[in-house]
Amino acid sequence: MSNIKNNSLINYKEVLDMLERGQITTAEAFVLFRELEEEQVLLRLEKNEEKLMSLDEITRELDSLIGLDKAKKLVKEIKAFVEIQKKREEEKLNTEPIVLHMIFRGNPGTGKTTVARILGKIFKEMGILEKGHLIEVERADLVGEFIGHTAQKTRDQIRKALGGILFIDEAYSLARGGEKDFGKEAIDTLVKAMEDYKDNLILILAGYQKEMEEFLNTNPGLRSRFPIQIDFEDYSIDELIKISKLMLEKREYKLSKGAEKKLRKILEQKRFKNQDKVGNARLVRNLIEKAIRMQAVRLVNKKNVSRQDLIYIQDGDLVGVDEI
Amino acid sequence: MTRCIIIGKTNVGKTLFTINFAEFLGLKKINVVLEYHDGSQHSRSYTIREARTYLTDPLPHKTLCLQIVTVNIPKGKGKKKIKLIDTSGLINGIHPDENIRKAISQTLANVRTADLILHIVDAAVIPKNGIVETLGEIDYQIAQFGQMKYGYALLANKMDLPEAERGLDKLREEFKGIYIIPVSALHKQGFNEVKKFVSRNI
Repeated sequence: MSNIKNNSLINYKEVLDMLERGQITTAEAFVLFRELEEEQVLLRLEKNEEKLMSLDEITRELDSLIGLDKAKKLVKEIKAFVEIQKKREEEKLNTEPIVLHMIFRGNPGTGKTTVARILGKIFKEMGILEKGHLIEVERADLVGEFIGHTAQKTRDQIRKALGGILFIDEAYSLARGGEKDFGKEAIDTLVKAMEDYKDNLILILAGYQKEMEEFLNTNPGLRSRFPIQIDFEDYSIDELIKISKLMLEKREYKLSKGAEKKLRKILEQKRFKNQDKVGNARLVRNLIEKAIRMQAVRLVNKKNVSRQDLIYIQDGDLVGVDEI
Repeated sequence: MTRCIIIGKTNVGKTLFTINFAEFLGLKKINVVLEYHDGSQHSRSYTIREARTYLTDPLPHKTLCLQIVTVNIPKGKGKKKIKLIDTSGLINGIHPDENIRKAISQTLANVRTADLILHIVDAAVIPKNGIVETLGEIDYQIAQFGQMKYGYALLANKMDLPEAERGLDKLREEFKGIYIIPVSALHKQGFNEVKKFVSRNI
């Protein structure tokens, strides 16, 4: 065993061969695996350093998103603000504290999570956050069922988010149950964490516009702790069509002229019927995925399917989608 | 697709865990892909009850290939498909039967490439036999290897048996810093926590 260990040319395949031949025990194989893994980790670390996305690349990723004009503008503002504060610090000038807790208001499917994820990467690159990862939670992840449970659960999530962003979806649901509800305990724990980890944790509260407003009104102390507020507006029909085309393009499909018209009609009807409950980008994704399946059903029994047939979604494929 | 491998010594309940966990996640029928050491594959469909009858056995080394079941795990607002990979039991020492050694080697090859490792131990026999004797070198080595990986959890199984509670305490002492989930594969206890763990790590 010891002489095997010292041979650094050994690879996984050889370990498995020795195991099969009965030359080493399973436990010994694991020891060897661990050593190989350590080598790999070192190699990977070296590679990762080269691979990290530059700030420019991340900004381009943000710019490539359709719509979201307000959010994009604000992200650029934040970026500039942070850079300047850092420069001021270098010049020993007075600096504003960088408080980056945020409130995202908007309907589902308007890009809140996507923007949060990109912000995490940007802050990591700028050295504001250590890791820049995003932990997405909702009431059930924070609120427990008995006394003391909530603080524990909330702290667990906070711990996971340290060095990154804690994204709380439908944050107002924490205040839903009134005074005696454990949701309040979760809010208190979060507020305390914002103080304790102010240099290494960013909190984002997200949810519907109206409910968010009510939530902040009933908890006046909260508003001042979240200096950045971004409104995510519903996508316009044109933007939704662009999004669908992009989604299809990624999957190597295309909309026929007729299908595009049909899609526009469906989206307009949807918007007209239930004003603010439209699923936005998520609705579009469902429509597209359903259409792809419908196209498959249409083509599967057809003889002589051409390449064009396989690429194009026809208006007929969007028929069964109305019920979504 | 995310690969979640279930490993542990023989007769700790890996296969029963896999079947019952699949049922817990909403499967009424399970479609098992059997993947053999030589790379050949078969696919079989069972009801949950049939799977329990045909795939589990009180004798060691019932499972001699990978048994792969695809399940849905809730993730964020949606669901994600992952593969649960049930494996051959691992042993201390060297097994005299070459076929079993090959099956073990196949298990290890897959441990290395898996995204998640669920390592099952029998908590109920620990108080009787002592922790070091029960686990042996192999479980310690799996745990050490697992800790290097991103998604690793130790499942203390057979918590339905009265002795298991003390076994669990011992495990917690011995494996400080490792994420331990007490479960009963038989009664599907602790499965919610396992589900959450998997969901967090995919």
